Amino acid sequence: MITDRLKAELLRVLALEDFDFEDTTLANSVPGWDSLKHIEVIAAIERAYAVRFKTLEVLRLKNIGDLQRLVDSKLTQQK
Amino acid sequence: MTEDKTLWSRWNRLAERAPDAVCMTLLRAGCDSATLTRAGLIARAEQYAAWLHAQGVTAGDSCAIVLRHHIELYPLYLGLVCLGAVPSILAYPNARLHPDKFRAGLSGMARRSGLKLILTERELEPTLLPLLESTPVAGLRFPLEASLGERWRAPAAVSGDAPALLQHSSGTTGLQKAVLLSNRAVLRHVDDYARALEVSASDRVVSWLPLYHDMGLIAAFHLPLALGLPSLQLDPIEWVSAPILWVEAMAREHGTLSWLPNFAYALMGARLHDEDLEGLSLAHVRMVINCSEPVRHESQQALLAKLAPIGLRVSALSASYAMAETTFAVTQTPPGRAAAMLTLDRTRLSSGYVEPAAGSERVCVSSGAPLPDCEVKVLAADGSRLAQDRVGELYVRSPALFDGYHNDPGLSESVLQEGFYRTGDTGFVHAGEVFVVGRKKDLIIVAGRNLYPEDIEAAVSEVPGVLPGRVVAFGRADATLGTERVCVIVESALTAAEHARLRAEVIAAGQRIDVTINEAHVVAPRWLIKSSSGKLSRSDNRERLSQLQAERTA
Repeated sequence: MITDRLKAELLRVLALEDFDFEDTTLANSVPGWDSLKHIEVIAAIERAYAVRFKTLEVLRLKNIGDLQRLVDSKLTQQK
Repeated sequence: MTEDKTLWSRWNRLAERAPDAVCMTLLRAGCDSATLTRAGLIARAEQYAAWLHAQGVTAGDSCAIVLRHHIELYPLYLGLVCLGAVPSILAYPNARLHPDKFRAGLSGMARRSGLKLILTERELEPTLLPLLESTPVAGLRFPLEASLGERWRAPAAVSGDAPALLQHSSGTTGLQKAVLLSNRAVLRHVDDYARALEVSASDRVVSWLPLYHDMGLIAAFHLPLALGLPSLQLDPIEWVSAPILWVEAMAREHGTLSWLPNFAYALMGARLHDEDLEGLSLAHVRMVINCSEPVRHESQQALLAKLAPIGLRVSALSASYAMAETTFAVTQTPPGRAAAMLTLDRTRLSSGYVEPAAGSERVCVSSGAPLPDCEVKVLAADGSRLAQDRVGELYVRSPALFDGYHNDPGLSESVLQEGFYRTGDTGFVHAGEVFVVGRKKDLIIVAGRNLYPEDIEAAVSEVPGVLPGRVVAFGRADATLGTERVCVIVESALTAAEHARLRAEVIAAGQRIDVTINEAHVVAPRWLIKSSSGKLSRSDNRERLSQLQAERTA
């Protein structure tokens, strides 16, 4: 389940008006989210949540659901 | 090392001299690296050669390799060369690319190059099978599933003039160009280029570049392989997601030479985190060579600012002007000295004159002097030769110049004139060094990848609501990204309320050919300007859009 907060951040960094993000959505299927944009998206998410992802964590992301779970795990660690 | 006539004989001689020297390493994040020694690579290549021969491959056959980056790709490629066959590494299709468009691109290449086999992965079988009916391709083979056994002990007795490899440009509407290079051209070039780089036995090449690109294939694969230098390769997809991998590889594996397109300088300058650099040193790096996109001063400085604290020297900031048609490099800045810079008057430069800045500045970065026996001349529109400090179209001559596009004499004739290749780039010569400032042809270069506007326009024209054929696509420089953005203008009779939806569909059409359209503009019918030849003019419409946007923000 993609939270409204993550969705809003993704829409902002990708300059999209709307997009139906689901757990299984692949970055490749989202307009403007290509390999070159990926690092910018990751940096924007890190900034928005004030977290840092490790290299391997980023490389293991397969879909948006993975990204949501990674964000959630970082937030849990901070508590 | 010029006594070798073929790549295969060169590789074998190096393997006999130091069989246990590591020559190829594939670094994977979070995994053990895979390595091949010189003798190990030859042995594995001979096993592939035997397998390929059993599949019907013989000397002179062109075979495409469509594999994800994998350690087996290297011996497979060498195995084809062992048989005297001609390998061509093609890009593995991104999931964004529609299978029909991927197949259309391959179909054009197959017809033009007479591809005999496509060596690929099982996953692509459904996409590629239809090619067997519509093109000369005789079959698909899956080398990663091959059970290898005996080694092929009868390498083809080919001459130096025999074709060694085929490089294809990408594209989906039949515009792909195939550059066929001989053994002699490749060997001559890597030897000449190595001298210009003052290569020594202590050099190590680090690269994340894809091997379907001339810079990845010639500079980061063939050059180290033919010179006996270790080549450390990263997966391009891993690198673009985590660019720190390149810094770690250069630092930990003691890389001394690396080639990067300009956007990589901007990307790493902006995205590397200082804390990730702690404990790493790049003090040993000899040359980081900016190539395959226009060299931008700001991007170079961004990388330097980020990496100078861990020892990257300003003198390592090198540049080269290169293209597949000349095997690779035509010019190179000298080792031990940063690429020269000139601060010029932007207005005078756009009028064709190289003069110190009086008003608005543009910093131009040198791509260095021509390699030995290479020549660069600058011609005006009327074909007259221009003196130094005058901007015109660049023509290049090189002993490693190709003979023409494979099976396309018309196109070859249009770009080869009196032994010179017409590059389509604009630039000037100053103090013996070449400065590339722009492009006369409409090619768009995004992150080192060449895109044909015709492909984008064809894809966008199919969108319902876009007036057929009333589309222009062009690149716009983006200083922050250090590369170009793809911009499209479409004419449509739809009402303004429908424009947002149409823009989204235009962007989606770009996705289907794996092109990210960064700007989609919808305009009224008859808005687009035609050139004197009656065709829609990309440059005039780019200019018109820029003027309108400038007026709006003024």
